Amino acid sequence: MENLMHLIQGFGVLFTFQNIAVTIFGAILGLLVGAMPGIGSLAGVALLLPLTFKFNPTTAIIMLGALYYANMYGGAFSSILIGIPGDGPAVMTLMDGYPMATKKNRPGQALLTSNLSSFIGGSIGMIILTFMGPLLAEFGLKFGPAEMTALLLVAMTSIGWLVGENPTKGILLTMVGILLASMGMDTLSGNPRYDFGSVYLLGGIPFVPFVIGMVGFSQVIRLMSERHQETKLAVSKLSIKESMITLHDFKRLLPPAIRSGFLGTFVGVLPGAGATTAAFMGYAVQKSFKSEEPLGTGAIEGIASCESANNAAAAGAFAPLLALGIPGSGTGAVLLGGLMMWGLNPGPLLFTNSPEFAWGLIASLFLANIITLAIAWGVIPFLIKILSVPTKLMIPVITVVCIVGSYSTSNSMYGVLIMFISGVLGYILNRTGYQTAPAVLSFVLAPLLESNMRKAFIISQGSLGIFVEKPISLVFIVILFVILLFPLIRLVLTKLGVLKVKEKV
Amino acid sequence: MKKSILLLAVVLLIAASVSLFAQGTAETGSKSFVPSKDIEWVVTSSPGGGSDIYTRVISDIMNRKNLANGKTFLVMNKTDGGGEVGRLQVSRVSAGNIADHTLLTFNSGDHAPMLKNTANRIENFTPIAVMAVDKQLLYIGEYAKYKTFNEVLNAVKAGNNIVIAGSKGDDIATYEMLVKELGVSQNQIAFITNNATSDAITSVLGGHVDLVMSKPAAADQYVIAGKLTPVLALSETRFTGNLASAPTLSEVGPYKNIENPIWRGVVGPKSMSAEAADFWSNAFKAVAESEEWKKEYIEKYKLVPEFRDRAAATEYMQNFQKLTLATLGK
Repeated sequence: MENLMHLIQGFGVLFTFQNIAVTIFGAILGLLVGAMPGIGSLAGVALLLPLTFKFNPTTAIIMLGALYYANMYGGAFSSILIGIPGDGPAVMTLMDGYPMATKKNRPGQALLTSNLSSFIGGSIGMIILTFMGPLLAEFGLKFGPAEMTALLLVAMTSIGWLVGENPTKGILLTMVGILLASMGMDTLSGNPRYDFGSVYLLGGIPFVPFVIGMVGFSQVIRLMSERHQETKLAVSKLSIKESMITLHDFKRLLPPAIRSGFLGTFVGVLPGAGATTAAFMGYAVQKSFKSEEPLGTGAIEGIASCESANNAAAAGAFAPLLALGIPGSGTGAVLLGGLMMWGLNPGPLLFTNSPEFAWGLIASLFLANIITLAIAWGVIPFLIKILSVPTKLMIPVITVVCIVGSYSTSNSMYGVLIMFISGVLGYILNRTGYQTAPAVLSFVLAPLLESNMRKAFIISQGSLGIFVEKPISLVFIVILFVILLFPLIRLVLTKLGVLKVKEKV
Repeated sequence: MKKSILLLAVVLLIAASVSLFAQGTAETGSKSFVPSKDIEWVVTSSPGGGSDIYTRVISDIMNRKNLANGKTFLVMNKTDGGGEVGRLQVSRVSAGNIADHTLLTFNSGDHAPMLKNTANRIENFTPIAVMAVDKQLLYIGEYAKYKTFNEVLNAVKAGNNIVIAGSKGDDIATYEMLVKELGVSQNQIAFITNNATSDAITSVLGGHVDLVMSKPAAADQYVIAGKLTPVLALSETRFTGNLASAPTLSEVGPYKNIENPIWRGVVGPKSMSAEAADFWSNAFKAVAESEEWKKEYIEKYKLVPEFRDRAAATEYMQNFQKLTLATLGK
């Protein structure tokens, strides 16, 4: 209850004209920044940071918090409407969001599903943050290299759900993703790897341009080749009322959103994992639950599971940041830098020394969550008009957006080049029946897995025992083996007649 | 109609180029340099990190004290290729007005990997200033198995393995000096490289490693909160304040002190004119001597103020390069 009192005090800090105004401003800006492919929360917060030095710290962090938070909403927009992920966490939203908007012709409902799930996931994350923040942060600390390795191995098995009908092709692309991710500087020894003598490749392949190209620009190329087949969607549902989801839709949305809310908060707290990993895991978990339509064909459950997870993770990431001064993600690190510039000392004493600041920030997240939902809901009718723009006009516009997004990740043409190359690659792969999702997923997870596994082996002097000696990692290893061996066990049991084959399937 | 537009365009173009030339001659004609356009300041690490804060504090003080003729600093974070791309671009800026308005934040943590991984050398830059020096300490966590550095050494002698977590670049170099001085192998005392010191602190707080290497600034809050305790000063002399309890290596046993000064400096492109380099060197000197710098940077982040002007910085960086290349065997 004490925390609730603090939270109310936090709202007291928040409810000044200036602070509410910056929350709204941050939320709108976050939506815009999130919706622009490539300019994710990291760039948004980093760009805005210098502007806030003249503010008082509480107002400044409230604005940045709102921006960061609203960003998770905005990322889904371009995923759903134009098939280009606005940022990393929105990659998974695309899997079902884009088909739902285009093939099923329910863009309004797709956007609303994403907004509502974001709201639910975010709320769960914030409530957990309010009541268990410091505790959660301590729990996150328990995840050292060995525990993270075991967890990531479990996460890697989710690639199995994404490979589609042809496992060989899926596994092949998973390997390609891992190879691409291992380019650049070796994170542990600092030695160059696969740089082929190029200074650019020394830093590896940047994630955002790679994803924009692989998933987004490949679509543009496809549009170009199909530009003469005018299969324009008759977008008639332009009012808020007509983009409402039905009660049945809402019932489908709720369970995955709640599940992912808890999962996402947990992933957000872990060191080094972030909203992107959370979205991947939320989607993968949904694969093992029942969905009314198969995932990947425009299922509401698919959108709900990943959108809820990434917002919850964004909220969860504040736990280690505020309670211990540990940034859970790149954006967290920038916020941390901001705290220092404002003269605050992030660290274990922040809650004690500057409570009005910490609780004001948490309160602002709640407010930003509500404001963003309202704004996002209100703009849906205008957004879906994008779908009625003729393809021949969309192609150049999306191309420009892709270029700007890839350029802005490191202020150089290198990103643009990577985007074009991965775009062509993605197009060729799609045409030849390869799914690009496994490559993207392994590209995200492999570097995390590699550095954690190598750290674990340094600690254990190369012994595998470290993974079973630690209780948390043991649990994940057991889960891993259950997942891996489940099909085999089922096969054996069926053969022995212990398990009856279900006739219905 | 079309013709007249074309004509207009040509006229405008000529007018523009004439005014450009006029500006150019005015620049070269005058002997002393004064900034005439916005300054592009390249930082080769991410926003919010140590180098970024260092850069933004300096540019802020320069603005407040009007040291750059009222021109704005545009801080550009260029992180491609682990920062090598940004450094290469700056080194290749061709002589002229742009070269005189380009700065690059350059620290030992930038210099060492550049020497290791590329053929780029300090001779491709114009050193402008060294502003401050940072040093490291070893800390233990709250629930550490070994409470002092002596206990750590005894544990090593008894055949146990010790793991130190730290950051990239400078920390690795300091660790290698330490292991060499102690005469133990890199297995007996192992080192885990993290992307940032904050990650290293996370792993020691969780009890996954025995020790963490950090500069005073990053560990400060954890020391105040009692979550980290300094056990060894990697310095010729002890630190002050709440870090005074940590002994230097020579106090612990029959060893020499380990010190690997981490300097923070600024350079310009090689093609920067001597006048501009002098101007900037003086501007940085004015920052280094200001109260703001002492209060908002040196004291806050516990660094050692150590200003070196253009000539001294050139010598210092060349010397660092010689030593580093020798260790690398290049």
